[in-house]
Amino acid sequence: MRPLGFSTGALAKGDFQRGLALQRGVDRVRAVELSALRDRELGPLVAAARSLDLAGFEYVSVHAPSKLGSLGEREVFEQLEALPPQWPIIAHPEILLTPALWRTLGPRLCLENMDNRKTRGRTLVEMRELFEEYPEARFCLDVGHARQIDPTMAVALRMLIEFGGRLCQLHVSEVGPRGEHQHVAATTRWAFERVAPRVPWECPLIIESVVTAEAIDEEIRAVMLAFPTGPERGAA
Amino acid sequence: MESPNRALEALERRLGARWEAIGRARIKTEEILASLRAALEGLDDPDCAVVVTGSLGRGEANDGSDADWILLVDGPSDPSHARLAREIAPRIRSVVAKDVGPTGTFGEIVASHDLVHYIAGSRDTNKNLTRRMLLLAESRALTNPMIRERVIRNVLARYVLHDRPVSNKQGRYDPIPHFLLNDVVRYWRTVASDYASKMWERTQQGWGIRNIKLRFSRKLLFVWGLLASFSGSLFDEGLLAQATREEEFLLLLLDLIREQTEVAPLELLARVASADGVKEDTAREIFDAYDVFLAALADPDRREHLESIPFDHAMDDEAYEPLRKGSSRFRFGINALFFEQHPKLPELIHKFGVF
Repeated sequence: MRPLGFSTGALAKGDFQRGLALQRGVDRVRAVELSALRDRELGPLVAAARSLDLAGFEYVSVHAPSKLGSLGEREVFEQLEALPPQWPIIAHPEILLTPALWRTLGPRLCLENMDNRKTRGRTLVEMRELFEEYPEARFCLDVGHARQIDPTMAVALRMLIEFGGRLCQLHVSEVGPRGEHQHVAATTRWAFERVAPRVPWECPLIIESVVTAEAIDEEIRAVMLAFPTGPERGAA
Repeated sequence: MESPNRALEALERRLGARWEAIGRARIKTEEILASLRAALEGLDDPDCAVVVTGSLGRGEANDGSDADWILLVDGPSDPSHARLAREIAPRIRSVVAKDVGPTGTFGEIVASHDLVHYIAGSRDTNKNLTRRMLLLAESRALTNPMIRERVIRNVLARYVLHDRPVSNKQGRYDPIPHFLLNDVVRYWRTVASDYASKMWERTQQGWGIRNIKLRFSRKLLFVWGLLASFSGSLFDEGLLAQATREEEFLLLLLDLIREQTEVAPLELLARVASADGVKEDTAREIFDAYDVFLAALADPDRREHLESIPFDHAMDDEAYEPLRKGSSRFRFGINALFFEQHPKLPELIHKFGVF
């Protein structure tokens, strides 16, 4: 069964412990992304990383800060590098100011395609340029970002064809015009269904929809309609 | 439509030709677009894009060109969009003084909803068809290019993704988007019919320039539309073969056609005119004639003359008649390209062009 779970930041902004606790033990949750989207979250996450109770999670990744604020690039890099090496580091292209530094992460570095507010990594061409710059990097396909750029999902399909061998995980949510991550509604689900058959069976799904604790099960069901996770594939 | 004119320039070099007016128009277009973008600074909205079509969209502008602009809205309705449009207009006029045409097709707010949902059928209007086709064939974004691209993709989705052919057999997918092709043909015939309608409504006022444009730039749009519709046969470099099912094939075909919306019509024409089998004389005939047309439009005196020439004096007119003859050479060249010399176009045009 495909590993599936939430970004801790989607369930509890700025509180990865709570984001983890909210999904621990939830039926079908086997994956988690530990969010340090704001750079002040990174220190506490690094400090707690090796003592976190991650039982039940087959797949764990960490999301690097989306902006450099109180920490400089080198500090962010060093803290991320200190995390358990088996955790992929999901990064937005905009924080990678010194490519030579980030290239040393090799396949631990996982580049995410971006939404329309950003200036890099939005399109196939922009992602191609990034992978030329980071030849060992893996790929986090954010299907919500891809749909915001291209509602037909042709761009997402071409990314999957071209970068499928690098695919590490998916980010799944509906992305609004101003980049907000929302519940996956029907029209978004239908768009995602166009590319779902291209997503390998073992590829983890990280849900980024910002939902309340009460809506976790409902959101998982919505995502599973687009990306069946197990024997029900094709029957949804 | 950001791609450089690589094929056009390569063809010019290969033929030893000098298409100076085409080159000047390209440079002038980029200058005007840069000025317009600077003038619009600060007038941004995440749901809106200012898009120009016409000669600025085709890369064929000159000092006398107007700016056929729209405020393209792709998102929630907001009364502030009206204020945005009102503030855009004088800023555009500060760069391009000539007013947009009197038809109301330009200089207005255009909702993507109408472009995407009202394709053919009773709710599609002449204005909507025109805006839709120009968006595909000859548009450039002055602000927020992602919005323009997204709307184009959604329009193409209607034509390609949501008009699945019934004849597809297992593993053999149809690369011809018939809905798009039919609408392209419909648009060309509409433009030609509208010419006659305007002759009647405006009692031949300004007929000369409209007639010459019909013979060149409007015809070029039709050429672009045909070539874009045949993208799956003409421009595919192995992408379509990667489809594993019909929906993927249609998505990839859509994307291939979308790529042509970034290519100026003259450049797309140059790509097919550079194909093996196309005679050098044919390519020369097409682009020499078009170069003369652009040179005439860039000359303020000749342009003004064309705008005021009486219909009954046309055949003896020193400005009009050479252009009319040039338009015949343009047409002969296009015909030779499409019906005789190109390695693929004759089969495509015979099979899908008319019947």
